[in-house]
Amino acid sequence: MSAVIEEIDTPTAWPDWFRAQQNAALADYEATPAPTRKDEAWRFANIGALDLSAFRPAAPVSSEGRLINLSTGLAGVSAKMVFANNALLHQDTGRLPAGVLLKPLDVAAREDEALFRKYFMAQPVELGSHKYAALHKARVATGAFLYVPKNTEVTLPIELFHWVEGENASVFPHTLIVCGENSKVTVIDHFRSADQKRAFACGVNDLHLERGAQLTYIGVQDWARESLAFHINSTIVDCDALATSLNANFGGGFVRGESLSRLTGEGARSVMLSLNPMDGERQIDQRTLQDHVAPRASSDLLYLNSLDGSARTIFAGLIKVGEGAHRTDAYQKVRNLMLSDEAEANSMPGLEILADDVRCTHGATTGEISDDELFYMEARGIPRQTGRRLILNGFFQTLLERLESEDLRTYLGGMVSKKLSVPV
Amino acid sequence: MSLSIQNLRANIGDREILKGLNLEVPKGEVHAIMGKNGSGKSTLAKVMAGHPSYEVTSGDVLLDGRSLLEMEPDECSRSGLFLAFQYPMEIPGVTIANFLRAALQARLPEGEEIDAVAYYKDLYAKMDALKIDRSFTSRSVNDGFSGGEKKRCEILQMAMLKPSYAVLDETDSGLDIDALKIVSEGVNALRGPDTGFLVITHYQRLLNYIVPDVVHVMVDGRIVLSGDKSLALKLEAEGYDWVEKEAAAAA
Amino acid sequence: MSTDTKPDIAIDRSVGDFRYDVDYEYDAGVGLSEKTIDYIADVKGDPDWIRRFRQDAFRKFKEMPMPTHWASPDLNNIVFENIRYYLSKGTQPKRSWDEVPEEMKLTFERLGIPEQERKFLAGVEAQFDSEAAYSNIKAAVGEQGVIFVGSTEGLHKHPEIFRKWFGKVIPTGDNKFSALNSAVFSGGSFIYVPPGVKVKHPLQAYFRINAESFGQFERTLIIADEGSEVMYMEGCTAPKFETSTLHSAVVELVALKGAKIQYVTVQNWSPNVFNLVTKRGLAHEEAEIKWIDCNIGSRLTMKYPGVVMKGRKARGEVISIALASDGQHQDTGAKMIHAADETTSNIVSKSISVGSGRATYRGLVHVPKHLKGCKNNTECDALLINAHSRTDTYPAITVRGQGNACQHEASVSQISEEQIFYMQQRGIPEGAAMSLAVNGFVNDLVQQFPMEYSVELKRLIDLEMEGSVG
Repeated sequence: MSAVIEEIDTPTAWPDWFRAQQNAALADYEATPAPTRKDEAWRFANIGALDLSAFRPAAPVSSEGRLINLSTGLAGVSAKMVFANNALLHQDTGRLPAGVLLKPLDVAAREDEALFRKYFMAQPVELGSHKYAALHKARVATGAFLYVPKNTEVTLPIELFHWVEGENASVFPHTLIVCGENSKVTVIDHFRSADQKRAFACGVNDLHLERGAQLTYIGVQDWARESLAFHINSTIVDCDALATSLNANFGGGFVRGESLSRLTGEGARSVMLSLNPMDGERQIDQRTLQDHVAPRASSDLLYLNSLDGSARTIFAGLIKVGEGAHRTDAYQKVRNLMLSDEAEANSMPGLEILADDVRCTHGATTGEISDDELFYMEARGIPRQTGRRLILNGFFQTLLERLESEDLRTYLGGMVSKKLSVPV
Repeated sequence: MSLSIQNLRANIGDREILKGLNLEVPKGEVHAIMGKNGSGKSTLAKVMAGHPSYEVTSGDVLLDGRSLLEMEPDECSRSGLFLAFQYPMEIPGVTIANFLRAALQARLPEGEEIDAVAYYKDLYAKMDALKIDRSFTSRSVNDGFSGGEKKRCEILQMAMLKPSYAVLDETDSGLDIDALKIVSEGVNALRGPDTGFLVITHYQRLLNYIVPDVVHVMVDGRIVLSGDKSLALKLEAEGYDWVEKEAAAAA
Repeated sequence: MSTDTKPDIAIDRSVGDFRYDVDYEYDAGVGLSEKTIDYIADVKGDPDWIRRFRQDAFRKFKEMPMPTHWASPDLNNIVFENIRYYLSKGTQPKRSWDEVPEEMKLTFERLGIPEQERKFLAGVEAQFDSEAAYSNIKAAVGEQGVIFVGSTEGLHKHPEIFRKWFGKVIPTGDNKFSALNSAVFSGGSFIYVPPGVKVKHPLQAYFRINAESFGQFERTLIIADEGSEVMYMEGCTAPKFETSTLHSAVVELVALKGAKIQYVTVQNWSPNVFNLVTKRGLAHEEAEIKWIDCNIGSRLTMKYPGVVMKGRKARGEVISIALASDGQHQDTGAKMIHAADETTSNIVSKSISVGSGRATYRGLVHVPKHLKGCKNNTECDALLINAHSRTDTYPAITVRGQGNACQHEASVSQISEEQIFYMQQRGIPEGAAMSLAVNGFVNDLVQQFPMEYSVELKRLIDLEMEGSVG
C-alpha cells in the first residue's frame, strides 16, 4: 500500500456527507487498475513513472510567513489565497465586489452546500486519469472556491498560490470556479515548490461558465524538477460564454495534464492555450478534448512545446463534434520546437466528426530553429546562443498575444523570459 | 416578353425583407436598381434565382410569362436567368473549363454532346475580350482569385451561357476603374433586343459605363421611385433621404 | 441549413453482383485447423520450410487477440469457422485464353479483362478463387528478364530470391491478419525486376471472390533490383452474398538502391466483404516506394500502407482516396518509418463520407533518434456529405532530435449550400453539382492514378453521388 493514501492525522474540516464520498473515492482508486501501455489514453506514455510508492502525506509547513511573503505575483489583484501542504495559510478577499464568494472549499462545502454539490468534480474524467482523480477526491483537504454572481465583473485578477514543501510530500490542490450569467473574472493559479525537493501533486480544476460569462484562467506550474504531477482540468461553457485558459508548465519531472472543454450551449467559445519550455529529462504528457455538444460553438487550441536536453513531450488532442453540433468551428494546433538531438516529441491530433456542417482543422508541426533566423541575428552582432534564446522566447510570446489583457501578457511574458534565461 | 416581378414578398427566417416589390424589365432594356445597404437589393437577386435560404410568402416572378418560383435554381437558369453574384463562390478542384462545359451540357437534350472544338474556340475568344488569361481555364473556379478576377469570371460565364435576362448583383463592388471598364464592356457587348438586364448597384459610377434605360430606387424592400438615368445622378448628388421622405409621405 | 436537400445516395452494385456455379476440384472445407494448413501445403506441393512457416503462423494467429481495443468492433462479426480458406480449380496457371474453362471465362469477360489485356498491359495474371486461372506474360516483359508469376510459381521456380525477401518486410506476427495470411496464403503475384530495367507498361492482376463464405488470402512480393522501375496495378470486384466474406492480403515491396515501385489499387469489393490488408515497402538508399490507393467498396476496410525508409535519401509516399457510403467503414491510413538520414515521406489522404458512411484515417510517422534531414508532410482532408456521415482522424507523429521536420495538417469540410446554389444557378442540376464538387475535391489525387483507373474512379464517384435514379 502506498504511503500517500494513508490516513492523515490532522482532523479534517469536511462535512460528514463529503467524508463519505471521499471514502467511496478511495475504494474506487484502489479498485481501478493502473494504466498500461495498451490503453489508448496512455499511448506513448512513460508508465513506469507512475510509481507512487515513495510519496507520503504532507506535514504542515515550517515557515508560513516566508511562503506568504513569496506569494506575490501581479501588482494589482482583487483577492489572494495561499495554500501550502493542503492547508490554507492566508486569504485576502475583502476587496471583492458584493456577492462574489471566494473561500476555502471545505468552508464552501458547509456554507454553500448546494453549489458545491452541483459543481465539485461533477464531470466524469474521460481522458485517462480516472484513477488519479479518485485519489484526489479521496485526499483533497481544501482548495479555492470562487463563485461570481450574475452580471458581476471582477476587474482585477484573483491570484491563488499552492505550495508544497518537504521531500516526497503529497499535495492535492483544487480550484473550483463558477461564473454566473454575464459575469467576468480572471484567475491565476500558481503551483510552486518551497524547497525544490521532489514531491507529488495531484490537482483538479472545475471551471464552469454560465450563459454569457467570461473567464480567463491561467495556470502556472512550477513544481520541483523531479516531481510527479497530475493536473486534471474540465471547463464547461454554456451559451455565448467565453473561456480562455492558458497552462504554462515550467517545472515538474513527469507531468500529466488533462484538459477538457465541453461546449454545451450555442455560441459557446473556448480558447485552450499551453506553453511548455522543456529541458533536462523532464516529460510532459498532455491529453485534451474539445467536445462540441451544442451547435454554433467554437473552440481553438494552441499548444507550444520547446524541447531541449532529453525532454519528452506527448500531445494527444481530440476534437469531437457530436451529431447535432452543426456550424461548429474547431481548431487545434500543436507546434514542437526541437532544440537537441535527444529530445522527443509525440503528437496525436485527432478528429471525430459526426455532424456535417462543420469547419474543423488541426495541425501538428515539429521542426527546429531555422539557420536563416540565427544567421540574421548573428549578422546583427548577436551571438548564436543568445540568438537561440531570443527566438525561443519569441516563439512563446506569440501565444501570449491571444490573451486580451496587456497586463497579463507582460506578466506572463516576463515569467517566460526569466525561465528561458536559466541555463539547462 | 419581360422579366416581371409582381408584388413579391419574401422572408429570411422570421424577418420580412421584400415587402411587395413590383418591377418589370422588358427584353432589350437595361434597368438599374439603386438603394442603400439593407434595402433588400441582394435579397431580391437571390430570391429571383431561387436561393434556398429565402421564403417567398406572396407574389410572383415571371420570366417571359413562366413563373420562376416553382422551379429549382438550375431550372431557372436553364429557363434563361443569369445571376452574377456579389460574392462568387470558390469551387476547389473544379476547373473553369469543366464547370462551364457542365453548365452548357446541362442545356443540351439527352444524348447530345458539346462540340469540344467549338466550345474552346468560343471560350478563348470571350476570355480574350475580358482580358482573362487563357491559362485560367485550368484554374479552379474563383479559387484564389482577386475580387476583380472573380467579377470578370462572372461576366465570362454570362457571355458563355447567353441568358435571356441577367441580374448583376453589385458587380462593381471592389473593382478599380480599369476592371470596371472591362466588366462594363463585357456587359455592353451582350446588350441587344434579346436580352434584358437588371443592374443592382449602390454607386452611380457603374452606370456611367453601363447606361441604363430606367433607374429604380429601392427602399425597405419595395421599389418606391422610377425614372431615367438622371435619377441616378440626382441620388449621387443628394443621397437617399429625399426619396425616403417622399416614400413615407406617399405611404 | 437544411440537409434534406442533398440528393439520395444509392450505390449501384450491379456491376460485379453476379456469380456462377462452379465445381471446385480442391476444397479445404469450412473452418481452420492444422489439418487445413496441411491440406493447402499438400495441394500446392509446398516445400517443408513453407509448411513450417504456415504452421508457425497459424499458431501465432490463434494466440493473438482481435485488435478491437483500437479497431472497429465490427471485426467481432467475422466467424472464422464459417469461412472456406482454400478453393481451387487446379494449380497450374493457364497460358492462353482459349484454354481457360468456360465459366471462368464468362466471369472475366464480363469484367472486360481480354480487351484490357490486348490494349496496353504487359501481362495479366487473373486469380480466380485463389489460384491463377490465366496467366500470359508478354514477350517484351519476358525478354527484359522480368519475372511475373503467381506466388506459388515464384516460390517453386525462384526459391533463392523468393526466400531472401519473403516474410522479411512483414513478419508473420506483425498483426493477427498478417499471421492468418501467412498460414493460408495462396495466389497473389511474385515479381522480380532485374537491375536497371524500367518496365514500360504497368503490370496488372485481377482478383475475384466467387463462392459463399470464401476468403481470399493472396500474398504478393515485388522486388525491384537496383535502379529498376515498375508499376503494379490491382483492382478487384466481388459478387454480393448474404454471409460475410474475408479478404486478408499481404503485400511486401522491396526497392533496392535507386529503384522505384508504384503500387496502385482500386478496391471495390461488395459491401459484405471484410477487407483487411497489410501492405508495406522497404526502400533502400535513394529508392522510392509509392502507394496509390483508392477504397470504394467493402463493409470494413482496414489498410495502412507503409514504407520503411532504411537507406539514405529513400522516399515513401501514400496517396489515398476513400469513399465510405451507407453501412461502410473505410479505416485507412499510412505508416512512415524513417530509418536513415535525409529520408522524406509524404502522405495525402482524402476521404468522402456519404449517408451513414464512416471514414477513418490512422497515421503513424516515426523519426527516431540521431537521424538528420528527415522530412514528413501529411495532409488529410475529409469531406462530409450528409448529416449522419462520419469521419475520424487519428494520426500519431513521433519525432526525435533536431534537424528533422514534420508537418501534419487535417481539415474537415462539406460542400456548402452556397456552392451548390452557385452551380445550380449556372444550370447544373443538384446531383451533378454535388458530383462536380466531390470530384473537384479529389481531383488532384485522382490525376495521380494511371489513366484507365482515373476514368473508372471518376465514373464510380459520379455513380455514388448521383444515385441510381437520375
